[in-house]
Amino acid sequence: MRILAIETSCDETSIAVVSLTNGVFAIEKNITSSQAKIHAQYGGVVPEVAAREHAAWIIPLLQEVDVAHDGAGIDAVAVTAGPGLVPALRVGVELAKSLAWAWDKPLVAVNHLEGHIYSVWLSEFQAPSGACDRPEGRLKPMFPALCLLVSGGHTELILMRDHGQYELLGMTRDDAAGEAFDKVAKLLGLPYPGGPQISKVALEGDAQAIAFPRPMIDSDNVDFSFAGLKTAVRVYLDSVSPLSKGELRGVAVANVAASFQQAVVDTLVAKTMRAVQQTQPASVILSGGVSANLRLRQALSDAIQSRFSGVSSDGDEAPVKLFVPDLSLTGDNAAMIGVAGLMKAARGEFVDPLSLKADPNLRLA
Amino acid sequence: MRYESHNEEETKKIAADFVRDLQGGEVVFLSGELGSGKTTFVRGIAEALGFHEPVRSPSFTIVNRYPVENVNIKQILHVDFYRIDDASEIPPLALEEEIGQPDTVTCIEWPEKAPSGMFVATHQIICHGGDPYVFTITSLLPQREGFPRLL
Repeated sequence: MRILAIETSCDETSIAVVSLTNGVFAIEKNITSSQAKIHAQYGGVVPEVAAREHAAWIIPLLQEVDVAHDGAGIDAVAVTAGPGLVPALRVGVELAKSLAWAWDKPLVAVNHLEGHIYSVWLSEFQAPSGACDRPEGRLKPMFPALCLLVSGGHTELILMRDHGQYELLGMTRDDAAGEAFDKVAKLLGLPYPGGPQISKVALEGDAQAIAFPRPMIDSDNVDFSFAGLKTAVRVYLDSVSPLSKGELRGVAVANVAASFQQAVVDTLVAKTMRAVQQTQPASVILSGGVSANLRLRQALSDAIQSRFSGVSSDGDEAPVKLFVPDLSLTGDNAAMIGVAGLMKAARGEFVDPLSLKADPNLRLA
Repeated sequence: MRYESHNEEETKKIAADFVRDLQGGEVVFLSGELGSGKTTFVRGIAEALGFHEPVRSPSFTIVNRYPVENVNIKQILHVDFYRIDDASEIPPLALEEEIGQPDTVTCIEWPEKAPSGMFVATHQIICHGGDPYVFTITSLLPQREGFPRLL
């Protein structure tokens, strides 16, 4: 089965062709027009600029993936229906509806978060990248799988009991982790996109230099809060450089970046391990744009290993394996939407191309 | 009026007092730097109006809507123009259909990113982060003395 997948929920326009043959996913095409360059001048994601760019890019990208004009060879069309920014989502949804209708192919509506989760099903067939701790070989995540989804707009812990079965365990109560990265980068005068910039600068800094808070790290639930951490960085910057934040340079900036990043990572890891303890999953999945953060990958991998060190697979508690997407698939992309779409198509979960609407608040569970 | 706050609870208390004067249809501008308490203040408004789910930052989504059940006020529209830099990006959001509706209280963070005049504030709240946080609240409505409260 071969699916054409379209993703336009935020600032990436992406179209992919993904196939499923004998249980094996293959990315035949996955083209993403990263718009980071356009957005850099604005210091953030600008929805209408994004939507305008989606509209400008999407047909050239469709041409680029080189599907037959009559849809021959494509068995279904998948599209991100939400959550996201309505003007952006609409561009992809309307194209998908048009193609499904014109080609008379079934249409699959995919939740953007579900796509991120399924990005790890693609990684197992590609060469392991050294920095991440992916299980060897072709292991697939076993259920139940605990998913930590972290991006600019999301910070969620989701329990996946089986394909298509999700339970929301916890989420951010204020800012998403990626949003905190972007805003702290702005406070530090670093360019957009903030996350990678902070990680880069943090390499030169001391993660223990400043004792930023780990919000809600000791609370019993698995919810997150990052607004207070952002405020703590602002308060710190005011205290060391009250007249001009711009005067903070070099090591000072690196220490703030490293200490801030460590606070986010510690919080994400602690909450995920609490959820591991509560739900006893067989696998942990880390995905979303912030999963590209190597410090987070390493820390979560270490925490899982130390939690289960000495526990044999035939003991009471089976070792839990961590799955992370390839770095190239951490950001928004259509290939992950294609995988989620193929799984839904296999279950016969289709939608009517005449009535599908983009839903900015689409829920996973 | 100038109010000082030392923590989130005090900020929410100031917001709850502010809410007492709202009747629906208000448009509240909240200005201030990152981390100056804007979203916390809106959280206080939402809680005081009976919304008890988490109020998340709309920086990513631009607009959040909170349904509430009051005599006059049925919805809080939480808008955040943090990521907007070009006036042409705002009209497609179709906010003018909802902002200022009699059953809606609209809170707009980073209102200065919209061109002046695109939206008309009934109240302005200037937020200063620090110790203490300072909130300066100005009503831009004409004095309505002798005007019966509708609540």
